[in-house]
Amino acid sequence: MNDKKQVRLSRRRFLSLSVGSVGAIMGLGYLGLASDFLNPPAANAAPLQEVGKVSDFPEQTPTLVSYKGAGVEEGVYVVNLGSEGWLALDFHCTHLQCGVNWVDAANKFMCPCHGGVYDIKGNVLSGPPPQALHRRKILVEGDSVQVGGVLS
Amino acid sequence: MKWLDERLHVSELMASLFDHPVPKRSNFLDYLGFATLFVFISQAVTGMLLATKYVPSANEAYASIKALDSTVAGEYVRSLHSWGANFMIVLVVLHLLRVFYEAAYKKPRELTWIAGIILLIGTIGLSFTGYLLPWDQEGYWATTVGTAMAGYVPGIGNFLLQLMRDGAVVTGSTLTRFYSIHMLVLPALILLAFLPHFFFVLRQGMASTDELAEARNRGEDITGKSIPFWPNVAVRMTLLVLLVAIALWVLAGIYPKGLGDAADALNKNHYVPEPAWYFFGVYQLLKYFPGKFDSLAMVGLPLVFMVVLFGLPWLDRNPSRLKRKRPVALSVALVIVLGLAFLTYQGIASVPKPLPNTVVLHPSYTQNIAPIFQSKCISCHSSSSGNYALDSYAGVVKQNVVPGNPDGSKLILKLEGKDQPQMPLGQNPLSKDQIQTIKNWVQDGARNN
Repeated sequence: MNDKKQVRLSRRRFLSLSVGSVGAIMGLGYLGLASDFLNPPAANAAPLQEVGKVSDFPEQTPTLVSYKGAGVEEGVYVVNLGSEGWLALDFHCTHLQCGVNWVDAANKFMCPCHGGVYDIKGNVLSGPPPQALHRRKILVEGDSVQVGGVLS
Repeated sequence: MKWLDERLHVSELMASLFDHPVPKRSNFLDYLGFATLFVFISQAVTGMLLATKYVPSANEAYASIKALDSTVAGEYVRSLHSWGANFMIVLVVLHLLRVFYEAAYKKPRELTWIAGIILLIGTIGLSFTGYLLPWDQEGYWATTVGTAMAGYVPGIGNFLLQLMRDGAVVTGSTLTRFYSIHMLVLPALILLAFLPHFFFVLRQGMASTDELAEARNRGEDITGKSIPFWPNVAVRMTLLVLLVAIALWVLAGIYPKGLGDAADALNKNHYVPEPAWYFFGVYQLLKYFPGKFDSLAMVGLPLVFMVVLFGLPWLDRNPSRLKRKRPVALSVALVIVLGLAFLTYQGIASVPKPLPNTVVLHPSYTQNIAPIFQSKCISCHSSSSGNYALDSYAGVVKQNVVPGNPDGSKLILKLEGKDQPQMPLGQNPLSKDQIQTIKNWVQDGARNN
């Protein structure tokens, strides 16, 4: 008697659990698809692109070049530090990402929005930026200067 | 009608929608939700029309909008849509304030309020995502700055930022993402939240009808105190909608939505972004927060605000709906509203006004000179910069201006670049006419006129 009752209950429970789990699995499947679609590309996955020749970049003078991203040009300052090597700095201010300008006369990067100031290596000198300018991958191969994605 | 009634019993449904009595003192402010619905429908229709011409691609979006703007109807529909977005924000906020003031969020209408907050978020989301779609400088940089704010969320900020942009910077992929959110995701969310929002109001009646229900339950005759919804109140609602509609149509006609320069991710022309007016409150607030606390203003405050809005029916445990019995709730709300209004006003006022583009022979300090400093200089040269402050007359003449002698004034030499580095640092120099205007003012004695 007791056994029968248990069996009947668990059958009900089994059916309602089945309905619930089929729904959950279907939902999870779509959620998985969505997260795969929405997941942004890895930060440094952007391929290397040639942005100029070594001679285009005089020492100690950051030069704004354009990296062809998806539908837009991405601003990158290529910095030839001479014996210290090369740097590629993303030109977005780390405060709220306005574009910074290299000011020759002051030897600094300046942001026009809230007055952020950076030195030639992208380190913050003053203003609200919380961190240095983001660096991007850079490779100098022979005469060719190539820039890649943002290093995280 | 009879045919439908036999099958679906529509007359019962219609009766429940239209036959209920409404208090005689029914207020126009009670119809704001209805006016919002009208503007939303206008947004949906104009949005569908725009979608027939718009090309959602970074390479073609701007050109497609430019082409659209070259026809009268195209420009008008786009202006309607843009003005409609502003109307939506204003009406939704007024509707929210009215509901708050009438304490209509309290039991039994908590769920209507929650659905309403979801609609508010959906509306703000639509404004934010729609801003980018024309792919002009304004939209590109506002989106860059707006998504950068998400980067300040502790821990997952960088992921959120990349999720919104589909990459590290705002690109064509961001445009595609925003387009689908603007066209599909948010409208679906709004529809899902709107159906219960509207259904609950039909089911429970507006809060203002409660007194009638109570009177009827006491066995009183309410015919003297009430007017029927149909057609009396419906006519008044229609009048409000007509008023809102005419305002929208006229404003869109007189002030068409312009189109700025095409988005330039390299920002060669040194465009300085500014937010849409309804974000000016946050924009201004950021100026008062020292750098370290930026994340507090950008993430903390909006989060607290959202929690308070969602939790309001439970946070406010005072059961009374009478205004004089809710002094705390009403005064806190008043402070917040006044504060936001003040910040928004300050933010808008701080935006540079158009500057003179011809030489002014005898310029006045307040009329001609101060506006130039305000738009070009004071983001760096504020009162904290000692002898170089340019945000007040006293600061300007303190050290670097020699009255009557422009060529001996350091201010002028800096602007002309004769004294390096030339100002404003890192931006285009002032125009020759602007510099000449400042020189004339110094020549005249650099007076505070």
